[in-house]
Amino acid sequence: MLEVIHSLLFSTLDAAPALIFAALGAVLSERAGVIAVGMEGMMRVGAFCAAVAALTMPTPLAVVMGMLAGAALAGVHGFLSIRWRSDQVVSGIALNLVALAGGTFLLESLYGPNGTPPIQQLTRWNLPGLSAVPVLGALSGHSAPTYLALLLPFAFQGLLTRTPLGLRLRAVGDKPQAVATLGLSVSALRWGAVLGSGLLAGLGGAVLSTAVLDRFEQHTPAGLGFMALAAMVFGRWTPVGAFLAATFFAFGNALRIGLVSSAPGLVELIPQGVLLALPYLLTLGVLTLQGQRSSAPAALGTPYEQESR
Amino acid sequence: MPERVRQLLPSVLSVLLALGVCWVLIALTLEPGTATDAYLQMLWGGIGNWPAYLDGAAATVITRPLGESAMKAALLTLTGLSVAVAFKVGLFNIGAQGQMLLGALAAAVVGAQVSLPGALHVPAALLGAALAGAAWAGIAGLLRIYRGVHEVISTIMLNWVALSLVDNWLVVGPLRGAAEGGQSITGTAEIQATAVLPRLLGEGSRLNLGFPLALVAALAVWVWLTRTRSGFETRAVGLGAEAARAAGIPVARRMGLAMALAGAMAGLAGAVLVLGTEGRYPGTLGAPYGFDGIAIALIGNNHPLGATVSALFFGVLRAGGTRMQLLGVHKSFPELIQGLALLFVAGRMVWLAVLRRRSVAPAASAEVPRA
Repeated sequence: MLEVIHSLLFSTLDAAPALIFAALGAVLSERAGVIAVGMEGMMRVGAFCAAVAALTMPTPLAVVMGMLAGAALAGVHGFLSIRWRSDQVVSGIALNLVALAGGTFLLESLYGPNGTPPIQQLTRWNLPGLSAVPVLGALSGHSAPTYLALLLPFAFQGLLTRTPLGLRLRAVGDKPQAVATLGLSVSALRWGAVLGSGLLAGLGGAVLSTAVLDRFEQHTPAGLGFMALAAMVFGRWTPVGAFLAATFFAFGNALRIGLVSSAPGLVELIPQGVLLALPYLLTLGVLTLQGQRSSAPAALGTPYEQESR
Repeated sequence: MPERVRQLLPSVLSVLLALGVCWVLIALTLEPGTATDAYLQMLWGGIGNWPAYLDGAAATVITRPLGESAMKAALLTLTGLSVAVAFKVGLFNIGAQGQMLLGALAAAVVGAQVSLPGALHVPAALLGAALAGAAWAGIAGLLRIYRGVHEVISTIMLNWVALSLVDNWLVVGPLRGAAEGGQSITGTAEIQATAVLPRLLGEGSRLNLGFPLALVAALAVWVWLTRTRSGFETRAVGLGAEAARAAGIPVARRMGLAMALAGAMAGLAGAVLVLGTEGRYPGTLGAPYGFDGIAIALIGNNHPLGATVSALFFGVLRAGGTRMQLLGVHKSFPELIQGLALLFVAGRMVWLAVLRRRSVAPAASAEVPRA
């Protein structure tokens, strides 16, 4: 029994970071008032660039490249939606389409359909002493992003709720006019948030191809970017909430995969498809219950115009 | 510059720019000569190889590519209409993909498990698909109207629910077709012959009744939006829900009906795919035509006829894309062109600013001599 819990916990901690980073990125962008439908595309670009970079440079540096690539795509999003006040959903969807088709095109023309050549994965850290403890030992043996993913949400939550910068970020998503009245730049704050969300989404994608797998695969990230949006909504737009939701979704997935291999009888009873739909159904349920009192930032999706004050 | 032209230009320029950028991309990854050849192949693969035909080749060098283009254009038109109709009432329907899945499944079930005479079977399957799509979109509509849930988030979630339930459960579980001749099949049972959409150009071309059906649907939506009272009210809600409410327009009913109509269009796209080309709900629906609908509608300026034109254009490119593979260009290339075009359309404000500068400059210089 303990071994089962151990292995479930271990695979959750292995799979969750990518989702956690993307969900945090989505929270950052949306709390500043910019809709984050483009997470999927930014993750894909991050995953692709990290895998390609890792062919020629040390893997940790390649992860940074993936983050920068995600931020570059976010830069396009920022240019269109902040600088030119375009529809944020349109811009995000367009980036998803470009990343999807562009990734396939570049992959096929440079490396063929089976993905990039295998790369050196990120080193896994063995925490001495911990590995021997039952259950808790599952915390040992992961790569650096896993540990970062466990700490970052709390640091981010502190930043958002306890610091002046956090207050400004929240204000710019709820009532940008108030921020502008204080003589602060609405667009600078939103730019910062959007680029930051690109870095986080890129990191999430890079983790997929350098820690979870050892290459960029054709379908990466296969909808994780949208699940990150679900985690953000489920976690009511707070970093720790999104973290818990993302971890919960990752755990549910690990449980599902575990059940398929160990208890096929149970899967007969509850079909896999229903389990796969569960995170999204839960998110819809939360939204339905919250209704109009939803915790979404008030100015979400509204481009800021100087004259509108 | 007339207003209508000013409305159209950003889309046209965006598509041209996307074509140009993608040409450069092939030229950089392969060779410049290949890029031009690839574009020619795409054209012949889309509208038919006219030079070969004029040299005496069989007529199928024309009808086969045209059939492929028409097939893809029909699907893109219907999903594009789905997104455009929702837009007219002020809602962003990201959920055409999920609605299409449900429609395809409904068409496959009615087509395979209900027995009807020929003249009724196709309409029944189409109706079932439209209703399934409308119901799925209706969920998002009701959540928006009664609970204030933003339709972008709810339709994204509904897409994944539909994909999980249909592809990973129903089609591999309860609705999976029985084995045929000792071989197990993927997907649902094959539809009956009476439910197949008839082909219009003979067996050599996959052009089927779905194409004229899509065009008629586009025309009907256009007439409804511009020539009827409820269509007018729908547009009024899209332009300003508060003002429409103040004018006595039933905002909730218009939103709900428009969303249901959007879902019905996407559902029909699923039906055309299943009844026209696949013959069953396959293991997975393949190309995400529902997501493409977003690009199609926006490039078409959210106008039903504009969406149709952009669907025809990208239908040709997508059908021709398979021919580019002969030159080592992946067949998803037209999707990249489409995505980039949407990205450039998203920069509509940039285009308008550039065009304004262009059109203001000559006007100003024209005034100088008069003064």
